[in-house]
Amino acid sequence: MAGTARSGRRSRAFTPYLLVLPAVAYLAVFFVVPMWSLLRTSLSENTGSVFLPTLEFNWNFTNYTDAFSDFHDQIVRSFVYGGLATLICLVLAYPLAYVIAFKSGRYKNFLLGLVIVPFFVTFLVRTLAWKTILADDGWLVDVLGKVGMLPSEGRLLSTSWAVVGGLVYNFLPFMVLPLYVSLEKLDPRLIEAARDLYSGSWRAFRKVILPLSMPGVLAGSLLVFIPAAGDFINAQYLGGTQNTMIGNVIEKQFLVVKDYPAAAALSFVLMALILAAVLAYTWALGTEDLV
Amino acid sequence: MAGNHPTRPVPYLSRRRFLGRGAAGAAAVVLGPSLLAACGGDDDSASSGGGGGENSGGKNLRISNWPFYIADGFVASFQKASGLKVSYKEDFNDNEEWFAKVKDSLKAGQDIGTDLVVPSEFMAARLIRLGWLDKLDDSKLPNKANLRSDLLDSTADAKREHSLPYMSGMVGLAYNRKATGRDITSIDDLWDPKFKGRVTLFSDQQDGLGMIMQSLGDDPANPTEEAVQKAADKVAEEKDKGQIRRFTGNDYADDLASGNTAIAQAYSGDVVQLAADNPDLNFIVPESGGTTFVDVMVIPTTTRNKAGAEEWMNYVYDRANYAKLIVAVQYVPVLTDMTDELTKLDPDVAKNPLVNPPAATLDKLAIWPSLSDEDEAKYTTIYADVTGE
Repeated sequence: MAGTARSGRRSRAFTPYLLVLPAVAYLAVFFVVPMWSLLRTSLSENTGSVFLPTLEFNWNFTNYTDAFSDFHDQIVRSFVYGGLATLICLVLAYPLAYVIAFKSGRYKNFLLGLVIVPFFVTFLVRTLAWKTILADDGWLVDVLGKVGMLPSEGRLLSTSWAVVGGLVYNFLPFMVLPLYVSLEKLDPRLIEAARDLYSGSWRAFRKVILPLSMPGVLAGSLLVFIPAAGDFINAQYLGGTQNTMIGNVIEKQFLVVKDYPAAAALSFVLMALILAAVLAYTWALGTEDLV
Repeated sequence: MAGNHPTRPVPYLSRRRFLGRGAAGAAAVVLGPSLLAACGGDDDSASSGGGGGENSGGKNLRISNWPFYIADGFVASFQKASGLKVSYKEDFNDNEEWFAKVKDSLKAGQDIGTDLVVPSEFMAARLIRLGWLDKLDDSKLPNKANLRSDLLDSTADAKREHSLPYMSGMVGLAYNRKATGRDITSIDDLWDPKFKGRVTLFSDQQDGLGMIMQSLGDDPANPTEEAVQKAADKVAEEKDKGQIRRFTGNDYADDLASGNTAIAQAYSGDVVQLAADNPDLNFIVPESGGTTFVDVMVIPTTTRNKAGAEEWMNYVYDRANYAKLIVAVQYVPVLTDMTDELTKLDPDVAKNPLVNPPAATLDKLAIWPSLSDEDEAKYTTIYADVTGE
């Protein structure tokens, strides 16, 4: 009797590991193996024929130094655009998430639905639609021109503003949703308590609401910044010749120049820099919880 | 797509279809070649099910061509005439991306899902060098006699043993008269500060740099690394000034028609079609010259129906059939003596100088020679550094 009980307990102890096995296997095959091969490629050299090169692995670190020296403009630009887009998303999304969480009453689900609605249209079509809206002969340029608010180029399309705008638009829901979740969880009695202790509404916000929503700010920022810094669709369709991002460079290196080691090295540089930025940001916000 | 390296223009269609095509192309970029190759693999197995799968024929023929590069009803009438069942796919969007997708299969001798493809000539030359194309059987191609003699002898494929031209066209400048306010005649107009930020160039190296080299006194027919570098430097200089709005593929037509750009590097056939809706659009070959492109029909060694593919080529090379294609796509015919057949179908097309260029225009056109792998890769890299995408 005791024996069966123990083995039953043991098999139960095993169950969680069995349950994660599919996910682990999936990640091993589709994440770890490709990452490993990408890492090897980034340290290899193209040899042999030009169009059917064989990759020779020889710790070729020049791929990395070349990646920095040839494309530092695009690297810096990607981080500036990604950072700006994240900041604008945060400024736009916080009040929105706040209103949905605390003030929307029975319209809460309806408003949340509206935030998600753009997802029903594919990323690409949304971006192409922006081309029409920002067109030189469009009404938006016309109106901004009349009130003297056009950027120095005298147009919107093919400028950095269009690229950052497109990034903000496409990634805004990723900021709103985590912020909403962390604000929604917040116990309203804590705000009442702050008021009871003679906090003004600004002080209550600063001392109670904002610190408690930090996990949402962090999660939203990561969800916006990481894909935005690596994005190439917005720069391709909304940007001009001086707004290319690192994603565009990687795409061109892979598909046109066919320098796979350079493209792989650039991918790792992007990954490492994003990771560093994320860690610094997490540390600065002083929270490790996501939502 | 952009960023990418598209060479072939498509006749301008309704905005909806144009958008859809752009979306499909960009989706292809997003998904990446490997995933697309995987999708292609599925297609093969589906279509080869009834194909018999033997090299010696069968009743199925699979063709891959550029989008909108065919006339309505053309495939149906070929099917009727030949008794073959054709699976016609418009899945050839970009030479380099197509190559990236199929090279491993062709190297291993595995089916790539098509029996006949229509790459640009430089790509066909690369495939010939790699030994990946079947030799054509002239006894099955009596209509090959209709081919223009200047195209029969080519540095890419002497005597046309492995490839037959499908369409030819001019690479020049298109401009929107309403936006420029004057007629455009030269590359100097392209660099006029008045059009700052309203000019687009091709991202493709040969189509983009050819006419720039000519404006600097160099000849794309005899390219050197210095000449290519000099032209690329000129483009870089204008890019840094903010003169160039975008480096484009097929999508230049959209910006030009909507008035976002004033002058664009363009393909002749597109502009014939665009001008039908928008009479302000004009196409010119710059005073210093432009280039010609040729797209060719080839049969990969992995074909499952070589005889059927040759039957298709011969059918295309019949003047009456070919006239239908020209009227639909409005490029320059690769066959001789097309005027009568074209006049029968549409006298306007027969008279159009962009379909039937006068000698004075032809004299200004240069054609890139077949380059060695090393040179081709070198030039591509030089220009890719400028286009920076």
